[in-house]
Amino acid sequence: MSGASTVRAIEQETEKESILHLMDGRVKLVLLVLIIVYAVFSSQIAVLAFLELYLLILIYISHVSFKSSIKRILLLLPFGGFIIAFQPFIHPGDVIWTGAFGIHVTEQGLMWATLLISRLIVALTSIVLLSSISPMQEVAQSFRRLGMPRELAMIFSLMIRFLFMFYDELHRIIHAQRARCFDAFNKKIPYKWRMKQLGYTVAMMFLRAYEQGETIYMSMASRGFSDESNLYNDRKKKLGRTEYLYIGATLLLVACLQILAMTHFYQWGFIGMNII
Amino acid sequence: MHIPDGFIPLWQCAIYYVIMIVALYFSLNWARKNLDERLIPLMAVLAAGIFAIMSMNMPIPFGTSGHMLGGALVAIVFLAPEAAVLILFIVLLVQALIFGDGGLTVLGANVVNMGLVGGVVAFFSFKALQKFTGKYLAAGIAAWLSLFIASEVTAVQMWLAGTFPLIEGLAMMGLYHFFIGIIEAILTVVVLIALDKVRPDLLAWNRKKNMGEKTLEASEEVAAK
Repeated sequence: MSGASTVRAIEQETEKESILHLMDGRVKLVLLVLIIVYAVFSSQIAVLAFLELYLLILIYISHVSFKSSIKRILLLLPFGGFIIAFQPFIHPGDVIWTGAFGIHVTEQGLMWATLLISRLIVALTSIVLLSSISPMQEVAQSFRRLGMPRELAMIFSLMIRFLFMFYDELHRIIHAQRARCFDAFNKKIPYKWRMKQLGYTVAMMFLRAYEQGETIYMSMASRGFSDESNLYNDRKKKLGRTEYLYIGATLLLVACLQILAMTHFYQWGFIGMNII
Repeated sequence: MHIPDGFIPLWQCAIYYVIMIVALYFSLNWARKNLDERLIPLMAVLAAGIFAIMSMNMPIPFGTSGHMLGGALVAIVFLAPEAAVLILFIVLLVQALIFGDGGLTVLGANVVNMGLVGGVVAFFSFKALQKFTGKYLAAGIAAWLSLFIASEVTAVQMWLAGTFPLIEGLAMMGLYHFFIGIIEAILTVVVLIALDKVRPDLLAWNRKKNMGEKTLEASEEVAAK
């Protein structure tokens, strides 16, 4: 799960300067979602390898740290990796290895697992890149400009504003608990008591959330906020040459990969094979 | 319970997106009807609170850890499954976009599990049980049920996608979430008790109807009692 330090580290990456950082938020969002959708659509490892290469080039152009990007991807992989690890054993197909207790590995299972992990890596790289070049508030604004309903966009935008404040609150509570030697994972303390303390922590967070919200509303209302107000920056920014170049390059890549997938990749053996 | 990208075929993702959009349509209508402009920022703050709460790991028997989902809590606090759909949608969207926790193509499937199924199961089981068991026990059972059923729905989705066998999926997800569900139930009840003591005006069951139908003054009256 994402913690406060992770959130801050990600936001620090977005403060860097590069062509990609300066681009329109909508373009970054839509194109990276397009890459994820195409990765999920594709069933050839070769296509996914080219998409990953393209994303790594974009990471290089954006001056985002390779080390932190790879670290984040590796930290996220186990969530899906757990399910993927089972695939060679449960997927029906030609048995290539048989072990004790009737456990067997199938060729199709191995291929399916390879496809799933390749898709997951491409999707996670896209997300890591997007979150490293777009501040959270820019993502919220992009959704609004792409037509997200006003109420949803407002909740989204406000939630991001409050997120950091809540992590600070959570850390303050956790520090206070640690200062009193409270450890939720200490088995010497009765489980019921630990749960009670955690429950009160959650309740405290919940109450602070509500009360902070009320205070913030009063401040907003006193400054002229109404249901007609636009909380987000709704400036009409025109797309520039770099945005069109980025859109063109990405669309061209996807189109070329699809043509190659249908005409050439099947000659490349395992990595060009359609895995279904 | 967050399904990652690539685990569900696109055509199935599209079906879950349609279900999610329909659920969001009704949830937004509920929000427009029941929440005024004062309460919409409050929902946003709640979403941030739920997000922060989700990052707190809780100990689970057998040495593992899990975290709260909060869908049942939101549905019971507002007495509306629509609130759970709205808040979980925003939380899951941010988790998918910024943290890669759960996928973007499968956002519909994740919202259907945790927001829609979780919220609806929590709300209706709470409504059905509270007359017989009292509100706190009903809330606990509703929270456990919402998490457990949501996890089993996830197993069914993975089976429909051809990613995991049904029986093994149901058994593994069921066993793991059986215990996480107990934590969810205990924490939901503790939070509700704390809210009922400190800010009873925030709980929909202390009001005649829904959230937006009470004025601030009336809420303060309830709080003062």
